[in-house]
Amino acid sequence: MSTRITDIFNSFQDYLNNEQEIREQIRVIVKDIEKSARDILMILQNIHNTVYDAVNENIIVAEYCTKAREIFGEVRIQYANLAKVVPNNQYYRYHDQWRFVTQRLCFLVALVIYLEIKVLVTKDTVAEILGVKDNREEGFHLDLEDFLLGLLQLSSELSRFAVNSVTNGDYDRPIEIARFVNELNAGFRLLNLKNDMLRKRFDALKYDVKKIEEVVYDLCIRGLKPSPRPTEETPTV
Amino acid sequence: MSGKGGRRHRGHHDKDKINLGDKGKEVLENIDDNNIIVQQFRGYAAELDAKHDRYERIFKINRDVGIESKRIIFLLHTIDKESKRNVVLDAAKSRLDNMARTLFKDIANELNGQDAYQFHRAYRAGLEEYVEALTFHEYLQNGEMQDCTKLESALTYHTTPTDSTEQSITRKVMVTPTDYILGIADLTGELMRKCINNLAIGDISSCYQTCNFVRKIYVAFLGYTSVAFSNEMNKKIFTLKQSLTKMENACYTIKVRGSEIPKHMLADVAIVAAEEYATEDDEGYQAF
Repeated sequence: MSTRITDIFNSFQDYLNNEQEIREQIRVIVKDIEKSARDILMILQNIHNTVYDAVNENIIVAEYCTKAREIFGEVRIQYANLAKVVPNNQYYRYHDQWRFVTQRLCFLVALVIYLEIKVLVTKDTVAEILGVKDNREEGFHLDLEDFLLGLLQLSSELSRFAVNSVTNGDYDRPIEIARFVNELNAGFRLLNLKNDMLRKRFDALKYDVKKIEEVVYDLCIRGLKPSPRPTEETPTV
Repeated sequence: MSGKGGRRHRGHHDKDKINLGDKGKEVLENIDDNNIIVQQFRGYAAELDAKHDRYERIFKINRDVGIESKRIIFLLHTIDKESKRNVVLDAAKSRLDNMARTLFKDIANELNGQDAYQFHRAYRAGLEEYVEALTFHEYLQNGEMQDCTKLESALTYHTTPTDSTEQSITRKVMVTPTDYILGIADLTGELMRKCINNLAIGDISSCYQTCNFVRKIYVAFLGYTSVAFSNEMNKKIFTLKQSLTKMENACYTIKVRGSEIPKHMLADVAIVAAEEYATEDDEGYQAF
């Protein structure tokens, strides 16, 4: 009888040890990924203090994006290593360990894509740039909620960017950002959110929207920018 | 949608006036169904809903599993005389098997093709409860404990598709060793109760026996490095220690006072002794 119990507990101990070992390996790799993410973030922070120069603007921004993309190349290799360590179909067993850095990277990819071509990145593009799969069935993938949380980080970065663009003399940028973030907001409103992290972060999005609207308003009212076409007013009396 | 902007504009009819929020309004009004962002998000919404729905469906089954398991445990506690024993054990067994055939099969179907770890939290609580009931039954039947593999195979389902001669499809409910061990930790609470009940009906020998069994489990739990343990596990071990202490006190009382007190009164005395050290135990069914 007692050997039975011992056996059960011994095999449990093996299971724990095994898990611990894998977690340790993951931790080392995730640390590398975090380092890369920080490097990219530091490069991209330069957008906030680039003085506006109508001719060279795109060139300067493009330079940062190119640098960032170089590091994304390393990130791809790191994710490939991570994918090798995580056993098949156990993505969500260890998900907690890389979800935050993945969210951060989704945000960084989205920012780069926005700076380059001014559109909202799609999930499959992010997956491609990070070197992971888009769908769970295919293996080590990008979790949808991580991707969406990454997009929500983008909105707060862009609201800062709108403010700093004005400081640096670029009055077009905030208008463009306002359009973009409003569309993003409209997109998020289509989701049915549970009372979770995503919901909480989404609730913060409206403050970013508001902040950007204020910047646009300031620009318009001072005539620094032609007013956005006033929309058809529905009498609300 | 434009309610916020609209309120701000109330009373103004000057079309040239610039208002805060104009840009947002303009953008929102220009968005239609063909907007590329809207279309993207429609897809995301569908995926997110599918995941949440699946989670909720599993969670509902989980609650049913928890409730039925708890009832089976109560049923097993009703064994008070030898003649009733086999009837109750058989009834419990068939209900346990029935759950494996129905409720768990539903969970297995939901998990089919998914990453089970993603939904593990949805059915963990019920599964632990089930392990508790299962091991309790096993203990009462054989005085033993079975290992996890038996349960795993019971929760693996092979179905042969009706329309073809292809090989059978395998679906299963993932049982992690942690679930099983936590179930065993809960089991000790039931064993404590059983021990005290046995005393009340005058079955002294199985009192000692159960006490020894729990002690072995306790020792086994002590053998771990606490690093890998969660808070939850530590709490359970604490409860386990309490249950064990109660049982040991009861056994002590039987031993030292067994000869001086009539048998029918011994039970009361021993139970009081057992409770002396006990704070309240937390064995009520909790859904979360």
